[in-house]
Amino acid sequence: MGMMEKLDELATAEAREYLTFRLDQEEYGIDILKVQEIRGYEPPTRVANAPDFIKGVVNLRGTIVPIVDMRLKFNCSKAEYNAFTVVIILNLRNRIVGVVVDSVSDVMELPAESIKAAPEIDSVIDSAAVLGLGSLGDRMLILLDIERLMSATDMGLVSAPD
Amino acid sequence: MSETHQDSGGNGDFDLTQFYQIFFEEAGENLDLMEQMLLNLNLETADDEALNGIFRCAHSVKGGAATFGFADVAELTHQMESLLDKLRRHELQPNSEMVDVLLESADASRSLLARHQAGGEGEVTPTADLVRRISALAAGGSSAPATAVPAPVAVAAVAAVEVPRTVTKPPAQTKQSRSLEICVGPLERTEQADAIQELFRDIPGLGEIAVLPTAVANTRLFSVQTESSDDDLLDLFAFHVSREFIKITERVASVEAVAVPAAGGPAGMFDPADDAQPGAPLAPLPGYGFFDGAPGAPVVAAESHPGEAKTPKVLPKVAPPGAAAQPEAATIRVAISKVDQLINLVGELVITQAMLAQNSRALDPAVYQQLLSGLSDLDRNTRDLQESVMSIRMIPMSIVFSRFPRMLRDLASKLGKKVDFVTQGEATELDKGLVEKITDPLTHLVRNSCDHGVESPAERLAAGKPETGTITLSASHQGGSIVIEVRDDGKGMSRQKILNKARERGLDVSDQMSDGEVWQLIFAPGFSTAEVVTDVSGRGVGMDVVKRNIAALNGTVEIDSAEGYGMKVSVRLPLTLAIMDGMSVGVGGEVYILPLSSVVESFQVKGDAVSTVGQGSQLVKVRDEYMPVIELEKIFQIPRFDFEKSCDIMVVVEADGSRVALLVDELLGQQQVVVKNLESNYRKVPNVSGATILGDGKVALILDTGALVRRSRH
Repeated sequence: MGMMEKLDELATAEAREYLTFRLDQEEYGIDILKVQEIRGYEPPTRVANAPDFIKGVVNLRGTIVPIVDMRLKFNCSKAEYNAFTVVIILNLRNRIVGVVVDSVSDVMELPAESIKAAPEIDSVIDSAAVLGLGSLGDRMLILLDIERLMSATDMGLVSAPD
Repeated sequence: MSETHQDSGGNGDFDLTQFYQIFFEEAGENLDLMEQMLLNLNLETADDEALNGIFRCAHSVKGGAATFGFADVAELTHQMESLLDKLRRHELQPNSEMVDVLLESADASRSLLARHQAGGEGEVTPTADLVRRISALAAGGSSAPATAVPAPVAVAAVAAVEVPRTVTKPPAQTKQSRSLEICVGPLERTEQADAIQELFRDIPGLGEIAVLPTAVANTRLFSVQTESSDDDLLDLFAFHVSREFIKITERVASVEAVAVPAAGGPAGMFDPADDAQPGAPLAPLPGYGFFDGAPGAPVVAAESHPGEAKTPKVLPKVAPPGAAAQPEAATIRVAISKVDQLINLVGELVITQAMLAQNSRALDPAVYQQLLSGLSDLDRNTRDLQESVMSIRMIPMSIVFSRFPRMLRDLASKLGKKVDFVTQGEATELDKGLVEKITDPLTHLVRNSCDHGVESPAERLAAGKPETGTITLSASHQGGSIVIEVRDDGKGMSRQKILNKARERGLDVSDQMSDGEVWQLIFAPGFSTAEVVTDVSGRGVGMDVVKRNIAALNGTVEIDSAEGYGMKVSVRLPLTLAIMDGMSVGVGGEVYILPLSSVVESFQVKGDAVSTVGQGSQLVKVRDEYMPVIELEKIFQIPRFDFEKSCDIMVVVEADGSRVALLVDELLGQQQVVVKNLESNYRKVPNVSGATILGDGKVALILDTGALVRRSRH
């Protein structure tokens, strides 16, 4: 998707609500409609031969759900697990994934005009997965296309096509 | 099927009444679906998919109705099908008139079905006019108003006579009436062939049949006038006589040419004048005046009798006494996913309940008496709830068993054997998913029993046994599993022959092996029973396939046999695929589950028992057998924090006929585990078949022993 199209899509849409969370010093936002629930972190069951940012699987009321640590995925300097570590449970096209973040800030409504296109930068995040940058006063919010991010093959969440 | 068929002996062991309810439900659904698709149909841009879909609905209803002997429904839907067939072949362009007529017909079919369901009570829905309008449309014309029908044809007559003619009125249409000669036989019981004649009587529109004389014993020769294709006919006949016994040949034109004038009556079958006398037999069959005395002739005469063809003839049989008392819908059809979700939720409830029970153990009973008694009530109720929820997926074994009598009869008569088939425990219930998967292996086993087990009547008499052999199929619950046994009183297996055969194949065998071990040899790949015990070649289904299929369901197969007295194959299966008996093992602080069905033994390993090959693969010697050692710690890259513990327990698992020893830290226990799919939210993990939730709410991975064994091979 080209940058202009992405912006068009954002502009035509009504102001959307985003769930914001922190990874280290950075603040991210994801579409609230993709979020199923927010839970405390509990140690998952490790799965062999998985990339290190996949912490394993947990039991979510009878469903086996993989847990991805976004801090490891985005190369954050430290990833601690304490009483405040949160897991955001996402529901993406009937697949359920949990992502570990440092903390969840709040839910905010962003009008389309306050979202700017992200410049092409060299980053660990695939630029196609960045919807844009939201500015809230002096804060910068990185808006993620979480569905695209999670379904990328390098996430190792889905079996690679044979 | 109607009673007449059973009386004629053609189908005595097959009672269709038990399937009526299913048919009514399915037909109702099909009609609803058809109505929906008809309403959504865009006349200008009707796509093939929609037309095919509508056609399929009509076809299913017709097929079912014909099978169950609801002639009026079959007749009406047959007409609909003919019209829809032309539409989907683009011979006709759909128009709104057609849609109207089809919708009306669907309504009529529905009320006809409702009447059958009520046991034949209620008003008869006239269908003659609909039938006429549909056929007019199918002929490319327009359906004239009903009042314009010149000959007021009675409903009764329509069923048998009116139809074939209206359909064929424009003889240029694709569906041509064909003259066929059908040879049936050789049959053990020629009554089976007579049942075919009744098919023609019971299914209006199928055509006409007459018996021709034949010199060959046990064989019947029919001349048939029909529009149906050979395949359709064979499908229909298959209810009574298996395909192999039927030969259909197109009759030479000249024969027909002779035959028609010979009738001497109405000049041709397409003559509209015929409509006035619905009772008149159709040409050219009566042309065979010479054979009027032949056995088949009375049937033809009966059919052409106006009163005889009346649908009510079938109706009284439709409703067995008391059928009207049945509740209207005793079942509801629910998507499997909903049931599975229910099972999931109950599983969760059970885990929560177990946690509560564990936490409450420390409480003082004197102080918390009410809380504790409440918890024990909760315990009981949860268990009851779990049981009832699991039972939703359960269906009785009779669904599987009911297909065997028919198959065995055909097979036995083909092989010239006499076999009695006995079933026991049909009411035993099994998970639906398992039932579907167990049918094929069971079919192989029953076939094998009939083919290789039971001897020919002469051999049996010579051996001092009754002429008729017996094959018993039984199902029963034993503990947490279901045991299905296939028994026969045939010649059994010969220990010596199997041992010889095994030696020929270069297998490692000795005369000291126990019987049980010898019988297990026939499960070796390429070791078909056909080669071992009988001379009938090419028929034997590899027992290795049977065993593999059953092992895939976490089941086991055991054989017991005595030469000269028969053999018994026992298949032991878990009650459901959703629950499995597992053995939990600990490796470096992690817990893994092994399917108990694949665990052979476990033992503490001594340091010197393990030897290496080429500094890599490790082997362990277990009672004169070397087997590869798989270190779970390495395969699953399990981090080790506690270096005091070490892997010194081996669990021998067997899969696909090979064994490997898994090296683990400790054995934690055996328990029933609920199998969860790992791939619904994650992806396939090598060497893991699924996951489960332990009593403390944690997830444990279930090992795929088959994959581990295969891994050790290369």
